[in-house]
Amino acid sequence: MHKGKFLVKRLIYIVFVFFIISILMFGIYKSLPGDPVRMMMGDNVKPEVWQQQYDTIKESLGLDKPIPVQYVRWMGNMLRGDFGYSTEYRRPVKEVIGVPMRNTVTLNLVSMFIVFIIAVPLGIAQAVKKNGVFDKIVQVVTIVGYSVPSFVIALLAIYVFAIRFPIFPISGVKTAGFTGTGMEAFLDSAKHMVLPVLVLSVGGIGSIARYVRASMIEALRMDYIKTARAKGLKEKVVIYVHAFRNALIPIVTVTTVWLISLFGGSIVIESIFLWDGLGKMMITGLNQRDFSVVLAMQMFYVILSLAGNVLMDIAYTLVDPRVRLED
Amino acid sequence: MAEKNMKKRRKSTVGTATKKMFLGGAMTEEQEEVLTPIQMVFRSFIQDKVAMAGVIGFVFIFLCCIIIPFFMPVDMYFQDVTQANVAPGFGMLEVPKSLQGNAKQISIGSTFSVGIDEEGNVYEWGSFPTDKLKKLPADMGKLTQVSAGLNHIVALTEDGEVVTWGNDRMGLGSIPMELRMGANVKEVYAGYQISLALTEDGELYNWGNTYLIDLRFPEGVQGNIEEFAANTDIVMVRTKDGKVAALTGKTNAYTTIPEEIQGHVVDIAVSDESAVAVTDDGKIHTWGNNIKGTQNFPEEIQGQVASIEGGRFHYVAVLKDGSLVSWGDDTFGQTKVPQVDGEIRQLTSGYYGNYIITESGDVESWGLDGYLMGTDDFGRDIFRRLLKGGRMTMTVGAIAVIISTIIGVVIGGISGYKGGKIDNLLMRLTEIVNSMPFLPFAIILSAIIGNKISETQRIIMIMVILGLLSWTGLARLVRGSVLAEREQEFVTAAKALGVKEAGIIFRHILPNVITVIIVNATLSFATCMLTESSLSFIGFGVSEPNATWGNMLNGARSATVIEQYWWRWVYPAVILAISVISINCIGDGLRDAVDPKSKER
Repeated sequence: MHKGKFLVKRLIYIVFVFFIISILMFGIYKSLPGDPVRMMMGDNVKPEVWQQQYDTIKESLGLDKPIPVQYVRWMGNMLRGDFGYSTEYRRPVKEVIGVPMRNTVTLNLVSMFIVFIIAVPLGIAQAVKKNGVFDKIVQVVTIVGYSVPSFVIALLAIYVFAIRFPIFPISGVKTAGFTGTGMEAFLDSAKHMVLPVLVLSVGGIGSIARYVRASMIEALRMDYIKTARAKGLKEKVVIYVHAFRNALIPIVTVTTVWLISLFGGSIVIESIFLWDGLGKMMITGLNQRDFSVVLAMQMFYVILSLAGNVLMDIAYTLVDPRVRLED
Repeated sequence: MAEKNMKKRRKSTVGTATKKMFLGGAMTEEQEEVLTPIQMVFRSFIQDKVAMAGVIGFVFIFLCCIIIPFFMPVDMYFQDVTQANVAPGFGMLEVPKSLQGNAKQISIGSTFSVGIDEEGNVYEWGSFPTDKLKKLPADMGKLTQVSAGLNHIVALTEDGEVVTWGNDRMGLGSIPMELRMGANVKEVYAGYQISLALTEDGELYNWGNTYLIDLRFPEGVQGNIEEFAANTDIVMVRTKDGKVAALTGKTNAYTTIPEEIQGHVVDIAVSDESAVAVTDDGKIHTWGNNIKGTQNFPEEIQGQVASIEGGRFHYVAVLKDGSLVSWGDDTFGQTKVPQVDGEIRQLTSGYYGNYIITESGDVESWGLDGYLMGTDDFGRDIFRRLLKGGRMTMTVGAIAVIISTIIGVVIGGISGYKGGKIDNLLMRLTEIVNSMPFLPFAIILSAIIGNKISETQRIIMIMVILGLLSWTGLARLVRGSVLAEREQEFVTAAKALGVKEAGIIFRHILPNVITVIIVNATLSFATCMLTESSLSFIGFGVSEPNATWGNMLNGARSATVIEQYWWRWVYPAVILAISVISINCIGDGLRDAVDPKSKER
């Protein structure tokens, strides 16, 4: 099968998966507590016109139609970015979602960057001197890193860096009432980001480093490495060009899965550090019973997850010439 | 979560052929030793030091959580404000050496005690809720009586002056004018944000938080009081003519005083929600609510009781022959009265502890001596909740793993063995479930379903959600292994012999992929424990009053708690971390043992 055809097939398939998950989401939407019509109506309706007005709103919302029609309508709204009306913010969800989304994406991308510049060299160094003292120590550290739950690390980080040695602020995205611009504003938000990023990175470094190590060892055992060494290539070239490029294939896969779970996991971290992001918004939405917001968040995570899958397929096809396309 | 997914993802991408090589290759290499694969795995597993350390760590924690609760029972619904945020440590009942042999009077407070010796010197010991308790007022002279409360102390000096120290908020520091003018005070008492003083002429004065306990004197009581007893809700008095009255304007459990005892009462005591009176014929009468067995006194003591004292949930009675009898809550050993030789000069019971002073001035004590790991903001013992929480966390994790393993094995098995359309369909299903963002879905499901159901159903729901969302990786692994196995000769042979399909799958193929399943189950046990803890931590998992390690940490999210009440988060965090690290070590060790190729790494 041709690669292009394979990708098209995967894309069609992803759309299919999205369809199935959207039905599930619609199911969740329908099972949410509370009557949307009553929410729209408010309390100041005279009893005599109540039923009539109720029916009018019901009709205008399309809730009198059969379920499949309702689904199509709901899905259409979702795809157009109309996520409904937030009862907590008293504004359409679309308007309140922008800043948190930017905050969450920033937080996660910075964490991802940190994880990579630490975990990849660490894993390679371990693999090159495998079973040495350094390797053993780092192995123990990484197993601790990915075993300890992120919120425990968060509590510890708060204790050490915000209470014992008050270097970094405990919570928030920026200092309250802060008015500086340019460099000052950047430094202020960078300072607020240190602790959440630190916490999100620890677990990631643990698992990615273990992964890099394993696939590098695998790659270093291959015959082409022996050939490269026999050719008299410098060890650095052998490791970073020949071995690492081949080790990249599994790393790419793993990274995407990890990235998706990173976004999910940041829900917990955001709620600890009161980071004004999607995760915190979702939790407050659930606690305040503001379900339009929650569904929009959910949609974001679903699309992120599916996009991750598509990216993984593409990366996979591009990086690995041996990829089995019939699968 | 990420780690688990990665492992699975990677294995399935490396492909089934490689796996066949791993497993098959290992078996042929060691054939001379004639070991079954399981024996081989076991042998190489016990040589793995890290994995064995993991096994020891996990088994230790597991056994602690299973066995210790039988000896240290815990009531999940129990709360007590008087025991909130007590620091870990023992020695609440450790009477100072210099007080032994010349003790005059002792009073027991929430988590500390105060005593005076024959010379009128003050001694304080135990765990102090506030440092102000250690700042004794200067030149107060000799003391004749002391009383310890929740976090303050009231004392009576030789000159009949009332002094107080410790917590001075809520008006506890402002002793009423009449008392300072030199009223003839007979007895002082420090309680829960309240202080009381009784004069020789039967007048009862109170100061402190008057909103909490609003004293209302029934007619003819004030000025006629002989004795009083108080707890966190009420003050009861005994008048000089042997009557009992509750000093409240409302009708409640304490006011249902039996009519027939009025006029005959010689001693009274109160515990939480119940009261006891001893009448002149030596009998006990109780009224109020029977909480933790505070009204289940032994019948055989009727007619022999001389006096009585009450703690938070227990009573101690002194019989006419001088022996002690106790009943009620025994969580901290409050009712385990010692054998006393000789006369008892004074018996003091309060909160969860008791002291007796013998004729020679020696002090003996029993009851709550301290908390190994402190208490939380509801006064619950963290150590006991930690054990219960461990049970819960492990149970939820284990059942979730069982659910996900069953689904994973069945779907992966059928998919791998049947192949074709069924395989295609099941694998698409696997991918759909796999594409669902795990934590957001778990949170939203738990939030929507969770508020309509009971506590137990909620726990079951968490297990099911975890199980239903985490089987995909295993299904892929099993599918891969089965695909590899079904082409082996023994399967063909079994088919030729006419073995039924189910027989082939479960008797011939499954034993060959069991190692993969076990390794995976171990690692996902750790993941499920982590996920459950995360969910409970943010409040969408198992909820109060049930304890899990995650929801115990939920209360520890504020900076104040992290800083001042470190024991509330350090212990659950450490034990959770150690458990998960241990299980992951076991899982890694098992994988290395099963897959000799990975050991070479």
